[in-house]
Amino acid sequence: MNDLAAAIAAPLADVQENTKIKVRDVHFYYSGFQALKGVSMDIPEKQVTAIIGPSGCGKSTLLRIFNRIYAIYPKLEATGTIELDGENILDPGYSMNRLRSKVGMVFQKPVPFPMTIFENVAYGIRHHEKLSKPVMADRVEQALRSAALWDEVKDKLKQNALGLSGGQQQRLCIARAIALKPEVLLLDEPTSALDPIATSRIEQLVEELKSEYTIVIVTHNMQQAARVSDCTGFMYIGELIEFGNTEKIFTKPDKKQTEDYITGRFG
Amino acid sequence: MSAAGIYLRRRITNVGALIFGSLATALGLLFLVWILWVTISNGISSIHLNLFTKITAYADQGGLSNAIVGSLIMDLMALLICAPIGVMAGTYLAEYANRTRLGSSIRFLNDILLSAPSIVMGLFVYVIIVLPMSNMTHGNISFSGFAGGVALALIGLPVIVRTTDEMLQLVPGTLREAALSLGVPQWKLTVQVLIRAASSGILTGILLALARLAGETAPLLFTAFGNNFMTLHPLDKMASLPIAIYQYTNDPSPAMHSIAWAGALLITLFVLALSLLTRLLFSRKKVSYE
Repeated sequence: MNDLAAAIAAPLADVQENTKIKVRDVHFYYSGFQALKGVSMDIPEKQVTAIIGPSGCGKSTLLRIFNRIYAIYPKLEATGTIELDGENILDPGYSMNRLRSKVGMVFQKPVPFPMTIFENVAYGIRHHEKLSKPVMADRVEQALRSAALWDEVKDKLKQNALGLSGGQQQRLCIARAIALKPEVLLLDEPTSALDPIATSRIEQLVEELKSEYTIVIVTHNMQQAARVSDCTGFMYIGELIEFGNTEKIFTKPDKKQTEDYITGRFG
Repeated sequence: MSAAGIYLRRRITNVGALIFGSLATALGLLFLVWILWVTISNGISSIHLNLFTKITAYADQGGLSNAIVGSLIMDLMALLICAPIGVMAGTYLAEYANRTRLGSSIRFLNDILLSAPSIVMGLFVYVIIVLPMSNMTHGNISFSGFAGGVALALIGLPVIVRTTDEMLQLVPGTLREAALSLGVPQWKLTVQVLIRAASSGILTGILLALARLAGETAPLLFTAFGNNFMTLHPLDKMASLPIAIYQYTNDPSPAMHSIAWAGALLITLFVLALSLLTRLLFSRKKVSYE
């Protein structure tokens, strides 16, 4: 346990930025099965934090606690604290509406709603804010521009979103999430269902978005983590093995396990 | 056994399976085409204007107009009753009671209802609607189109519950997560996203239920009873195509038989049109999540 604390503390010294999400001793159980074992980390504000690790290591599980989306299923339980701007989001008193407007999420497979492109983006906004038509149109345009999708869809906003290509659908999902003006953006393997060209567009987008949002990305693609992130956490069987500056993790990691994984000796 | 031997055996097995499969398909299709052919060849010659303009009271000189109107009224009534209830119940099963003990029990009971003999529905409605109405009005109102509609609704209900439930379960879970992660509440998600995503499937279920109940005879025997005159009043005894066909085929006169054939052809065409419509609906919305 002391080892772990030291491992976390050392690389954190390199990171000067404010902590946006403070994770302390988080355990997670799937109806009795322990999927996370005492994870602690500090996610810096307006940076990209990548979480890597082999399948089943708990990286997606961890991400899904950050907006408490796991809570829609029965028999799942998280303990410990996760402070977003100093407030514990695992506290039952923390408003779900508030949390979900502050923390947006994009999933592995692009899932547009069965509506027009415009409605896909406007739908979430409508639930949180009452906007007049021109203001809403503006907001939707802004979100689509931020997601680098505007030029491709500006002439077909009234068409069904399911007609877009996979990469476009995923950028639409990003637009949908940032339309709510969240502070944190969670990306759960956002490119694993996309081709290389669409993938590089999304990675470029992540690079651009980090000036405004704190981004946490889960990926099983190590090159992707190395390319887009500032901080990286390596997880293995429910534990955070090492967390720190991406460059350090990928060049001279402190732990043997991290090195073995990064160099492809297992995983 | 040598490699060549193994390959030969596989080829023979393959050809054998192909032959048996094709024969079984041909046999099934044979009867289907046969039934259609007999219905069309016997019915087509009796289809003329009288069928749609004259009521059954004229017997072999008449038509089926009151039966056609009665069937349309009762089918529509049945649909108005069972479609909203069925869609809501199916939604409850898929979205609120999925994977709960209560949910599986309801699903099980619904499957029983789905395969229950249709005459049981007729008797049930006779006991809970026809008899009490008759007692309350001292026999002025007994059998009625309304009772017939309710009995038919009981036939269509489990079909709609089942298809709605299944279609909603086909909607990927990530769509639910995506909406909930935007902070959208469950009821909005269900009504505005999930039902919309499954709409063509749900509509297909409703049309299938209509096709199913349109051909039912047994539930109407003790409920709508039948009527030789035209009526639009839902509390009157009401004529229907299946009952008219049933009565006409029991008549010794060949002229009556040919009118019955024409009626059978009408129902067949109606169901065929519904099936085509469902196919059209399903194929047009090809964009899906998979």
